[in-house]
This record gives sequence, C-alpha cells and structure tokens, in this order.
Amino acid sequence: MERLMQRRSRSSLFSASFLAISAVLVIFMTIVIGGLVLYPSQRELLASITSPEILFAIQLSLVTSAVSTALCIIIAIPVAYAMTRFSFPGKSLANVIMNLPLSLPPLVAGVALLIFFGPSLIGTVLRGSGIDIVFNVTAIIVAQFFVNVPYMIRITRAASAVINPRYEYVARTLGCSEWSAFRQVTLPLAAKGLIAGLVITWSKSIGEFGAVLLLAGATAMKTETLPIAVYLNISTGDLNEAIAASIVLIGIALVSLLIFEQYGDGTQVI
Amino acid sequence: MLRITGLTKTLGSFSLKGVNLHIEEGEYFIILGPTGAGKTILLETIAGIYSPDGGTIALHGSDITRTDPKHRGIGMVYQVYMLFPHLTIEENIGFGLRQRHIDPVTIRNRVRQTAEMLGIWHLRERYPETLSGGEQQRAAIARALALGPRVLLLDEPLSALDVTTRERLRRELRTIHRMMKTTIIHITHHFEDIFALADRVAIMQNGTIVQVGTPEEIFQRPETEFVASFTGMENVFCGRSRLRDGAALIDVGPISIQTVAGIEGDVYVGIRPEEVIVSREPFESSAINTFRGTVTEIQQNGMFSRIVVDAGVPFVCALTRQSIRRLELAEGETVYLTFKASAVHACPG
Repeated sequence: MERLMQRRSRSSLFSASFLAISAVLVIFMTIVIGGLVLYPSQRELLASITSPEILFAIQLSLVTSAVSTALCIIIAIPVAYAMTRFSFPGKSLANVIMNLPLSLPPLVAGVALLIFFGPSLIGTVLRGSGIDIVFNVTAIIVAQFFVNVPYMIRITRAASAVINPRYEYVARTLGCSEWSAFRQVTLPLAAKGLIAGLVITWSKSIGEFGAVLLLAGATAMKTETLPIAVYLNISTGDLNEAIAASIVLIGIALVSLLIFEQYGDGTQVI
Repeated sequence: MLRITGLTKTLGSFSLKGVNLHIEEGEYFIILGPTGAGKTILLETIAGIYSPDGGTIALHGSDITRTDPKHRGIGMVYQVYMLFPHLTIEENIGFGLRQRHIDPVTIRNRVRQTAEMLGIWHLRERYPETLSGGEQQRAAIARALALGPRVLLLDEPLSALDVTTRERLRRELRTIHRMMKTTIIHITHHFEDIFALADRVAIMQNGTIVQVGTPEEIFQRPETEFVASFTGMENVFCGRSRLRDGAALIDVGPISIQTVAGIEGDVYVGIRPEEVIVSREPFESSAINTFRGTVTEIQQNGMFSRIVVDAGVPFVCALTRQSIRRLELAEGETVYLTFKASAVHACPG
C-alpha cells in the first residue's frame, strides 16, 4: 500500500511538474501580449489606430496580402497536385528547392530577391522594358509571395495527399475529362484544407517583414505595411503608433488562428 | 466483345505481363487471384485510367487502347465504394448523367429507376458517410449502372462487407446481371462469388492469366499447382440438393452426399482433399458419407500424395506417403472414402 502510494505520488509529481511548466509558459505569453495591449491609454491607442499613417498601413497590408495570397493559391494548387500525384525525374530535388524558403531567414530571401530584380541581368532587362519590382508596392507582393508560397504548397499537399485518386478515376469513367474530374471532385474534397491554407498564408503575408523590408524598402506612406509601420515608428520613438500597428497584427493573427482551427482539422502548420 | 491482347503495364511494384482475355457479350466474368497479382491494374487499364505499355484492348471490334475513359462506356465499382462524399446519394448516382448535359427530369427518372432497382431510393438525400457499407456499395453500383455501361468492372465489390450483407448483395448482383444483361468483369478472392455468379473464371497470378474456364473446369481440373492450391477445393461437383429432416441430400451423378447446409435446388459441392479419409474396409464412425470406389491414379509429390478414387464421380484425396504404403494402395484397388457432412461445402449454383 505504501509503495503504491509512493508510486502514485511520484507519477503525480511528474505530471504536476510538466503541467506547471506549461502553465508558466501560457501565463508568460498572456502577460507579454496582453501587456502590450494594455500599455497605452485607450484614448491614445484609438487615436493612433485611426491616424492616417496606421490606416494607410492597414489598407496597404490588406491589399498586398490579398493579392499575394491569391497568387500563392493559384500556383500552389497545381504544384501541390503535381507533387502528390505525379512522379518525375528530379522530384526530390524540386521538393528541397521548393521548401528552401521555409527554412531560409526571410531577410536572406529579401536580399536574393533584391539582387534578382535589382542589379542582375534579369532585373536590368525587366527595368529596361518598364517593369520595376524594387522599392514599390509590387515589391511587397512579390516578397510576400516568395516567402509564403512554400507554406501554401505544404498545406495544399497535405490536403490533397489524403484524397484517394480513385475518386477521380471513377469520375473519369463517368464522363469527366481530367480537368473536370479535378474541378468537380478533387477540388471540393480539398476545400477545407485549402481554406485553412489560405487563412494561414494570408496571416503570414500580412506579418511578413524581412523580405518586404529588403525588396520594398521602408518608406513611410508608400511601402509601409503594418510590420513596416511597427519598425518605422519604433525607430522614430513613436511608441503609440508602433503599438497600434502591433495590436492590429495581434487581432489578425488571433482571427486567422481561430479560422484555421475551424477548417484545418488534422492539417499541420509547420 | 471485349478482347484484350498482350496487355502489359508496369506500375511501381505491380505489373501486367502480357494479359490475353476474351470476354463475351453479356458474360459474367470473374477474375480470381491473390493480392498483388495485378488484378486492379488490369481493371483500371481496361477502364482507361492507365495507358498500357503494350498490347491492345478492343471493344465491339474497335480499338479503345488509347481512348479516353470518358468515351469508353465502361463503369467502375471499387471495393470501398468511392462515392463522392460532398454529394448526396442522388447526386452521386446522377453524376455521370449530368456530365452528358441531359435534361434534369430525364436524369431524375433514370436515377430513380436505378436507385429503386437497388433499393436505395429512400436514401437519396443522404450523404455517403451516413450510410452503411452495403448501402454505399449499392449506391456505387447504381452510379455505374445509371449510364448503362457497355462493360461493368467490379473490383472486389463484396470484400469490405459483412457476411450477411455480402450474401444479399451477391444475390442482387446476379439478379441485376440477369435483368440488365450487362457484361460484367468482377475481381474477387471468394470462391463463393464464382459459384454464385460466374459464367467463366480467369485465374490471375503474377500479372498473367494462368487459366480460363467455367467454374467447374477451374475447380475440377486446375491446370497449374498454383490454381489448385489457390482454389483449395479440388473436389467440386454440380448437384441437386433435396432437404430431408433438416439436412440436405445432394445428388451428384450416381451418388448422394449429405451436408449440413440447408439449401435446396442446383448447387455446387466442394470437399477439400485432406478432409477425405481413405480406408480398405468400411467403418462405423460419426462421419456420415461413405462411398466405395477404385483408385485410378496415385501422384507422389512431396510429403503429401494425391490419389484419385472413382466412386461414381472422381474424388481427389490427400494422403501421406506412409499412409499409402501402410494401406498398400495401388491403381485398380478398391477403397472406401469417408467424410463428415460438415466437410461438404455447398453453395447455390
């Protein structure tokens, strides 16, 4: 009996300590993030959020992230499908290259993009034909796309990998072309995963900083997305504006996380 | 009607190595074989999902080897249904008709007619995941039949179902085949399917067809060791069963075999060679079936030998070499065969 008690108390000590560490972490995160929200006075915060600069940043962030997310999904769907269904030479190499931006610091991706669209031969040719993709709004979209398309591909792949190809086979024996079997069967079956991927990609696009900073620069009221607004205002000591932009980002992150939980069932975000 | 010539296809670790088959109009054709024999690839290649590496497929005399699946008129039913989960049962069954842009009223009538034949019209508004396995398989069959396919391919359609449902659906497949006269190719590994459904059977092994014939031919004269071991029931006879005192007495040629199965009418009877006891004299035992016969053949191979005894019908018995020596068996000798009523497997023919 005594031994049993000992065993029990030891095992509860085990679970208690692990739970305690978890609790401390959750409390720490809540205080850090909640503290940011509560730090400025509500009146000042409201004034900052409705200031022309922050409203511009919100608008620019929404527009650029919407466009870049749309581009991500247009590219990710065929790529993810090809990577799950087809085998081709160099597939594993293609896989590594596609996933590289995931582990690359966005700053490095930004430098690479800057060189590519800037002084490189291709950048020079593009500029010569009137296409300039450096230090402007297009640059924001390109940077967001480059960094986030691997995420979208990964989530779309996870969503399409679980769809049995025989659904399409049956559809084709019932009179569908490959295109229409994909549209009528595979796409609707992947819808939930696609929505989850869309939300997470959108939220990451809004928060993208490093690559955007390098390729689009940090020009107030021009290439000033929300993260850039945080950066610019912190560097000039305008704490309230920086916090206002941060709070908007927290709100967006929270909403997208909730939507992802709703639709993402089983899909892992890396 | 459907002629497959020298069909080859390699897909990962599976392959077809020169399949030749000729299936007659309106035939119920069963392909039997172990897992990994390439049966599913064969069906999917016939359906046009895969393009073969070599060989040809001809339907009604015209080459369809490279025809797109949607133009072949070949329906497909898988073991685990593959109903579109985002569509209702009615939408699933009408899926093929909708691709042809037929007017909605005609589609609904056709769907209703097909669904009623399979007894699932009342489930039309439900989604597949809310249905039982048997109901889902009926819906999958209805979906393939609604288009009136020239050939219906069934890939182990009964294997995922419980025994009772399987038997019911098996009977219904037979009725459907008789009513619609559709040419059916059915993959299975249940020998009951063969006796209940097949006009002809092909045995498939390692990507090739090793034997084709009627069910009786396949079971009575397995051409290769593989067929014999795979079918396992070498003593297969056609007979007529009469019920007497709850037990069935099956007339097979000149002899009558007792069994415990309560079925009547035309039946197939199967007895495994190792269930038959061979003796020099008749003996009293709980085993009810005893017949006198003459040894016509002794095949020595491996630890077990097979002897064939003519007792009005030919029985194959499996004995050890020692037993053959002890009983001093030789061709032409008279022996008695004994087996239990429960060793007799009977199914409707």
